[in-house]
Amino acid sequence: MDGQLLSETFVELTDTMVADFDVIDFLHVLTDRSVQLLEVSAAGLLLADPRGELRVVAASSEAARLLELFQLQSDQGPCLDCFRAGQPVDSGDLAAAAQRWPRFAPAAQQAGFAAVQALPMRLRDQVIGALNLFRASPGALPPADVRVGQALADVATISLLHERSMRHSDTLNEQLQTALNSRVIIEQAKGKLAERLGLDMDQAFTLLRDFARNRNRRLSDLAQAFVDGSETLTSLPPAAPQQRPSRQAGHQPRPGSPPKQ
Amino acid sequence: MAWPFFGLLAMQPGRILPRGSFLLGARMTGSRPGRIWGLVAGQAASRGGRVSAADVCTAAVTAVEVSGAWLSAARGTDGGHLMRVTDEVSEELAELQLTLGEGPSPDACACGGPVLASNLGDMEAGRRWPVFAPAARQAGAAAIFAFPLRIGAIRAGVMGLYRARPGPLSAAHLGDALTFADTATLLLLDSQDRAAGDPAAGPGPGGQPADLTLHRAEIDQATGMLTEQLGVGITEAFIRLRAYAYAHDRRLADLARDIVARRVRLHPDPDPSHDGIA
Repeated sequence: MDGQLLSETFVELTDTMVADFDVIDFLHVLTDRSVQLLEVSAAGLLLADPRGELRVVAASSEAARLLELFQLQSDQGPCLDCFRAGQPVDSGDLAAAAQRWPRFAPAAQQAGFAAVQALPMRLRDQVIGALNLFRASPGALPPADVRVGQALADVATISLLHERSMRHSDTLNEQLQTALNSRVIIEQAKGKLAERLGLDMDQAFTLLRDFARNRNRRLSDLAQAFVDGSETLTSLPPAAPQQRPSRQAGHQPRPGSPPKQ
Repeated sequence: MAWPFFGLLAMQPGRILPRGSFLLGARMTGSRPGRIWGLVAGQAASRGGRVSAADVCTAAVTAVEVSGAWLSAARGTDGGHLMRVTDEVSEELAELQLTLGEGPSPDACACGGPVLASNLGDMEAGRRWPVFAPAARQAGAAAIFAFPLRIGAIRAGVMGLYRARPGPLSAAHLGDALTFADTATLLLLDSQDRAAGDPAAGPGPGGQPADLTLHRAEIDQATGMLTEQLGVGITEAFIRLRAYAYAHDRRLADLARDIVARRVRLHPDPDPSHDGIA
């Protein structure tokens, strides 16, 4: 494990007092660093919406994000079990978990994952969400990695709840709702771009994300401008080939965060 | 509170509950959207009218335990058209914000998320809205909660709630308020559909609230695809998507999945019945 990256990550996950704090960027740091630090291929994160629904708020890759969505849609899977029980849930071999999760287990395998570990985002009796760690090869996550993963989730949880009490009690909810709406805008933009260029949704997302990165724009701002018609996405690169669900990041780097890898 | 709701269903079963609506399913039990829809439909039934966004305001005041509510509908770029207020204070608050262009409602419209100002007398509110905050307190509000009526890039308007006493919304009240806002969004979009005067659209999707929080990535993607297929803006695309689902008696999520999978394609034809399977 990269000790320096680990310390930097803990600093990042406690640094919620910055003026431009963004809850979704913050949670993307948690999923991305989990993939970089732990023996996992992808990470996804569900957070409880004030409406009482769980929502997918961050993922290290599109494949992980879709799998989180699938858990919500099929109302089944390790992240949901973990959230409901407030306890870690794991399966070292998804091929043998078809009875436990008859819909989720095959879907996860189809997405290229063989094992999963879900960790609660919990402070005392308050569970605010769950972090899912996916592995491409079967086998339980090493105990040391489980401890570090849980420590990262704990620090993030405390930071968010601290954020809520220290700044404005409503800031977290405001930001979460704004971010969830941004996610919807990105889906709408994906649809528009996919239809225009004859792409599938993954290709459309990759193209949008790369365009935003190359121009140093926030993905959600670009998506909004594209849907509104004020951004035409001219000079788009040719459609990127489909990528494997591995260590690709699914978002813009947080401003000021250390470069990746 | 559920009984007026069921009374209304008995009167207009086809209109309120198309086949496959989530209200018929297991989610009805204990489902927040189902409960909130029941409160709104009950409010409409008690005044003897069809369900409208105005009923959302009235029902929200009671359920969220606030002093009053206002709702303005987005109309192009003219900055908002006041639709409904529940009392004089709400009216003054809504008009102040329209006039000043300052306050929680304009901020909620600009940022796309709710603005929860639980104490208009605190420093943050004073710094953020130097003119509006004192004026709002003068008018009788101590806390204001503004909810943009949006589905991604679709802007339907804004809903505001105020309280005469300061203090944040509880988690349960916030969840209810967000769900009232979701419901108001759909009802406003339905009324735009009817206002467009397209007789083929009939009563529109009838005001049944699609479950906005689950299964929705495909609905959002399909809406984006329709902007290209139909050559329309995102709001119109969503209205057409729902009208098509209603006209063909299909669940919105199922139709969206077919559009994303390119099994169904809509055509830029004013008559939805001409749209067909790809």
